[in-house]
Amino acid sequence: MGTFEFTDDHDALRDAVRGFAAEVFSEAEVRRLMAADSPLERPVWERMARQLGLQGLVVPEEYGGAGAGLVELAIVLEEFGRRLVPAPFLSTALATLALLQGDRSVTGEHLTAIADGQVVATVALAEDDGRWDATGVRCEAEQAAGGWRLNGVKSYVADGMIADLFVVAARGPAGVGLFVIDGTADGLTRTDLEVFDRTRRLARVELVGVTATLVTAESDAVERFLDAARAAVAAEQVGGASFALDMAVGYAKERVQFGRAIGSFQAIKHMCADAFVDVESARSAAYYAAWALADGSPEAHTAAPLAKAFCSDTFFETAATNMQVAGGISFTDEYPAHLYYRRAKSGAQLWGSPRAQRDLLASRIGL
Amino acid sequence: MTTEDEVRAEVRAWLAEHPRPEDDGGEWRAALVDSGWAAPTWPVEWYGRGLPPEMRRVVAEEFARAGAKAPALDVTQLFANTVLAHGTDEQKRAFVRPLALGEFQGCLLYSEPGAGSDLAALQTRAEADGDRWIVNGQKVWTSGARDASHGLLIARTDWDVPKHRGLTFFLIPMDQPGIDIRPIHQVTGGSEFNEVFLTDAVVPDANRLGEVNNGWRVLQTALGFERLIMGGASGEAPRGFKPKDGVDPVLAARQSPWTRQTGGADYVELAKKVGKADDPVTRQEIARLYTLEKVNAWNSLRARADSSGGSSLASIGKLAMSRIQHTGVRVTTNLIETESVLTGDTSPVAGEINRSSFAAFVTSIGGGTDQIQRNIIGERVLGLPKEPEVDKNVPFREVRKAQGTRSFS
Repeated sequence: MGTFEFTDDHDALRDAVRGFAAEVFSEAEVRRLMAADSPLERPVWERMARQLGLQGLVVPEEYGGAGAGLVELAIVLEEFGRRLVPAPFLSTALATLALLQGDRSVTGEHLTAIADGQVVATVALAEDDGRWDATGVRCEAEQAAGGWRLNGVKSYVADGMIADLFVVAARGPAGVGLFVIDGTADGLTRTDLEVFDRTRRLARVELVGVTATLVTAESDAVERFLDAARAAVAAEQVGGASFALDMAVGYAKERVQFGRAIGSFQAIKHMCADAFVDVESARSAAYYAAWALADGSPEAHTAAPLAKAFCSDTFFETAATNMQVAGGISFTDEYPAHLYYRRAKSGAQLWGSPRAQRDLLASRIGL
Repeated sequence: MTTEDEVRAEVRAWLAEHPRPEDDGGEWRAALVDSGWAAPTWPVEWYGRGLPPEMRRVVAEEFARAGAKAPALDVTQLFANTVLAHGTDEQKRAFVRPLALGEFQGCLLYSEPGAGSDLAALQTRAEADGDRWIVNGQKVWTSGARDASHGLLIARTDWDVPKHRGLTFFLIPMDQPGIDIRPIHQVTGGSEFNEVFLTDAVVPDANRLGEVNNGWRVLQTALGFERLIMGGASGEAPRGFKPKDGVDPVLAARQSPWTRQTGGADYVELAKKVGKADDPVTRQEIARLYTLEKVNAWNSLRARADSSGGSSLASIGKLAMSRIQHTGVRVTTNLIETESVLTGDTSPVAGEINRSSFAAFVTSIGGGTDQIQRNIIGERVLGLPKEPEVDKNVPFREVRKAQGTRSFS
């Protein structure tokens, strides 16, 4: 494993995404999208793809992408995480990472459509019992004339109501594989789920004999995808945690009680200091995991679940600290602290709870 | 401006002319100090090469290539660094070279029984007596006092001004009748630390570092150099991660820093040995401990590779290590449970865990408690306002003080 350094290109990417997110996903706009039927604005989605090249970031150049890796994706996700971007970027990015595990003769056209902003894609992995590993998959894939048919139920599918394309984990004769289905396919029924975090919409998807194409049936490829997803979600959480910390510190400097800024009280100061330690550590974890995966390091296998668990806990704790520091005002809908608390909850439990990720980590370090 | 290639060529030329002897002998060491390569960022006229901090890495790499270790005295020689920052030319002449050669050894006479976290409340007094100062008081937590030729002493020289403004910094000779060094009996059974009693001890005015009553500023410089050593920050390349080669990262973390020091057990192996590998609580605890160790290691890698954000990352390392050590003790105690009441030959594992439990307090109390570290992070990194200080603009004479002396030896 060599050395990793953030480059000027990384800084430029971060600046561009940060500027875009601040302009397009103001708090008011995020709230509007939360209340709207759909969190997707097609013109914005197309601008993200065609002007900024974000959906195509990890898509190979021959399919219209930038051919970048997980570290670059982590930068975008961190910045979007800061703003609670409700657009289906994470879903589409995870679907892209899943498609990259497969044969390009199957996935090429989808990758091109994603990079061009023509489609919203998502991954359907968990089922009604909310497990995020391959062993929990019960949805069945059977070979039929001209392809595969999927039968089963998928749940907690991010942006499942608006997705044009699903990458579905299903159990075939050779174990769990990844399959692509079209959102308009016959036999696919979507149900909108009531969610605690409206910046991340979820759907339950029933599949009855839905026509599918196989992406990969290799268990290693599925596991590689899951690790990449863990690292990607971790990066998004770092952004949210970092923003929540900034909010808490900003409030602690402004709010006066007992004749002084509350941030001068050690009870508040120490909460902020502890959150800072965790947020910086989470940042190290998320980027180390992203780099280890991009670099093909054997440590990626442990770093990915570690980062997912730690960044999840950190975002949740920091979002709670942000509410506690703000006191009474944090209990109002108007003050945005609760938006971060809600996002922290969904990010922590989706894609593998901290508890499940730590158990996986325990196995991977030899327990 | 010297380029990196020029520096490499110069170091190589010097090393070619002065091959390192087997024993790192005195003559070679002296030649190295005089060449300036032992402290590349020190001024040319004071045993350095006048290079910018980012060249330290280059020099270190060239030494490593020749199978030698670059001393990097400009990072590690806290005493000489402080003299160079605040000393007169005469003091630099008197101290820098002997310190660099190890002929002089220093110790730190800062903390007192009544001045721990609040160091500026120290009560050791220095009173002018012609061209010398007479020092009375007590210092504590002084490691290396017995081997030291000189102590970096901070003492009160004016009691009628607020606490920070009446302090002066000295380099006091340790070998004198007025200085009594007593080893402290520690909870660990060891005695690494000493208390130092100063009774009419004498320090020449020529050994005063900086202006009279300007000692707090000198101290801040000295503490800054200490942090530089602890943070291992040598102004290395840009931002990112720089892992060490040839180290199994999983195994390295499993053998945590505190058990590694005592040649101890890998906690994953210990969990298996006590039959708890499948216990869900144990698995969660061990994964948490492993995680704390890894994120701290990754923070360090990032700090090493990050010259811009390194300082704020360095500030969290000590707090993070405290959490690792205290968590490590809890996790390993939960592994052996009842056996943890034992120690010594009866249970070497318990003995080691119990030793580690006290070592954890060295981290969470020594060199600034966790609570002070949180204040530092809150105030210096996050920019939160300080607590109001009741003793701020009050002459120190009138301030409520802790007991100034107390023996633990």
